[in-house]
Amino acid sequence: MSGTSVPRVELRGVERTYESGKADEVRALRGVDLVVESGEVVSIEGPSGCGKTSLLNLLGLLDTPTRGEVLWEGESVGGRTDRERARLRLERVGFIFQRFYLLPTLTARENVELPMRALRTPRAERRHRADELLREVGLAGREGAFPHQLSGGEEQRVAVARALANRPGLLLADEPTGELDTANTDAILALLEQVQRDRQATLLLVTHNPAVAGRARRHVRMQDGRISSDVREA
Amino acid sequence: MRLWGGRGRLRHERLQTILTIAALATAVALPVVLLSVGGGVSAHELNDLENAGYQIVVSAGGYHGIANAHRIAGQILAIPSVTAASPVLSVAIDAFLGTGQAVPSLAEGVIPEEFLPTLGPTESGLFPSPLPLGDPTDAVHFDNGTYDGPATNDVMVSSPLAQEYHLAAGDTLLLGPSSNESQAVRYNLTGTFGVPLGELGQTGGFALLLPLSSLQAMTGLSSGPGVPVVDAADTIEVSVGGSVATNPSQLDHVQQEVQGVVPYDSVSTLSQEAEQLQSASSVLTGFYLALSSVGITVGLVFLTLVMLRRVESDHRSIGIRRAIGVPGRLVVGGVLVEGATLAALGAVGGVVVGYLLVEALATWSTGAVQEAASLAEFVPLTLAELTLAILGLSLLAGALAARAALRLDLAESLR
Repeated sequence: MSGTSVPRVELRGVERTYESGKADEVRALRGVDLVVESGEVVSIEGPSGCGKTSLLNLLGLLDTPTRGEVLWEGESVGGRTDRERARLRLERVGFIFQRFYLLPTLTARENVELPMRALRTPRAERRHRADELLREVGLAGREGAFPHQLSGGEEQRVAVARALANRPGLLLADEPTGELDTANTDAILALLEQVQRDRQATLLLVTHNPAVAGRARRHVRMQDGRISSDVREA
Repeated sequence: MRLWGGRGRLRHERLQTILTIAALATAVALPVVLLSVGGGVSAHELNDLENAGYQIVVSAGGYHGIANAHRIAGQILAIPSVTAASPVLSVAIDAFLGTGQAVPSLAEGVIPEEFLPTLGPTESGLFPSPLPLGDPTDAVHFDNGTYDGPATNDVMVSSPLAQEYHLAAGDTLLLGPSSNESQAVRYNLTGTFGVPLGELGQTGGFALLLPLSSLQAMTGLSSGPGVPVVDAADTIEVSVGGSVATNPSQLDHVQQEVQGVVPYDSVSTLSQEAEQLQSASSVLTGFYLALSSVGITVGLVFLTLVMLRRVESDHRSIGIRRAIGVPGRLVVGGVLVEGATLAALGAVGGVVVGYLLVEALATWSTGAVQEAASLAEFVPLTLAELTLAILGLSLLAGALAARAALRLDLAESLR
């Protein structure tokens, strides 16, 4: 499990309970089994509170299951230290959030450079790559802009560029177009599709928007913390 | 450290940053003022001791201090290797200089012939030699303790006093022990003497020098009709000659001989005086630091709260960084660097504020405060140690905030 290859990720009998044992206990995931093959484009659909984001967080190693196993390339990552999990995220996962989550004190370029800095990429190289990625997402000339100077669509483009900075094999997008208008939604989805195609990355899209889900070739539906259907398009 | 936010973050939280730096600067300014002024005054006093022309000092407690000063000085002078024994009586008196108001002045009564040899090289240049006070041994007026001899009524004044009231040798002036002019006695001004230069130039000391017996008679610290002889002095400064002055064991021997003359008074060498002064100075420094630690503690508690507040308000940014995979040590490092940056700016600001405060006191205040401020010494090593101590303690504040940053629930912080 090394390098920047596209990982095969798997959940086995995964349960995730918040505030376990307390009166306000929430069982977000209840015995989920899921295998995502390298290069797949998967939509995770379902109503609010059905466990979509919890599932995404477990796959992206942001969280650990209360029970069950998360496997990357057939190997359990449950025993990994926080540092090792952070390293895996840094090198192999790209996150795209609904609210963009750019750092407000950094420029667009600095936001894109952030994962590369953490990976100790040389300054010239990361600057070159950040500018290249920003150009790729259609933001050439906006490198020095701060997030508050960008529109919602532009912010999400920066977020996509940041997610791609370390050439990850696994892209996890949590409602990536949830706060965008139709035009920007189409643009961002087209961008994600292109990126996935060019890089042969695995793309998991959490959404409750049928139009967004329609871009995927595999549709996982969730209900009350369980996978209610898993359909692959022919 | 832009991974945390660095300078951009400091700009982003501008008011909070300014207030934190101001709080720390205020906390640091106090020890800067106390240590620089206290250290400066101590150093000045030590310097005076090191440059004194006498090696042994006799002193006594009580209202009248040393009694029978003339006789004791004579007995000490008889000790081999003693070259001068100068009794000194310092009393605040009033001078009537034709302005209609009494001018408070410090009068020193001395035996002219004994006084000059006890002056150090710096001080001796401020006085004419011999002193123009007539009766060099003060024996004529003293007249074996009867005070029946003719008084010269000669007096010298300090140059600031002479300049202020346009006095010159040949003038006469009235001096008295109180503001009641009817008790004043007419004196002949026979000369002036300088005062040591301070950092602001001449200190504004209004001082008078006159024969010991004259001052004793004026202030009642002498015999009078039906009054037993007092012949008072505050101290007797003793000079020794030759190699004895620099030989500790020989000086100790002379000290013991002097002690034999005045068994009930305190006799000490200047090195002992210096040790006592240094010891007192150390105690004072400790007191200053203890006093300052209150302010510094409050400043650091404020810094800790600000850092914790920043982590709390920045939980999403921290969550994003950690979600991306930025190692925890970089997040911790960023928090520590930010805390240390604030502390460093506060410490440097405190040093600058402290320096400006001392300069302002030296320029615009009056009296003892001005004099003390003008003697202040800013020792770079002390200031560096103070800054480093603040930086070190700020790491503690940063560590608490960093711990809070690391304990943030990743998934929760991204909701």
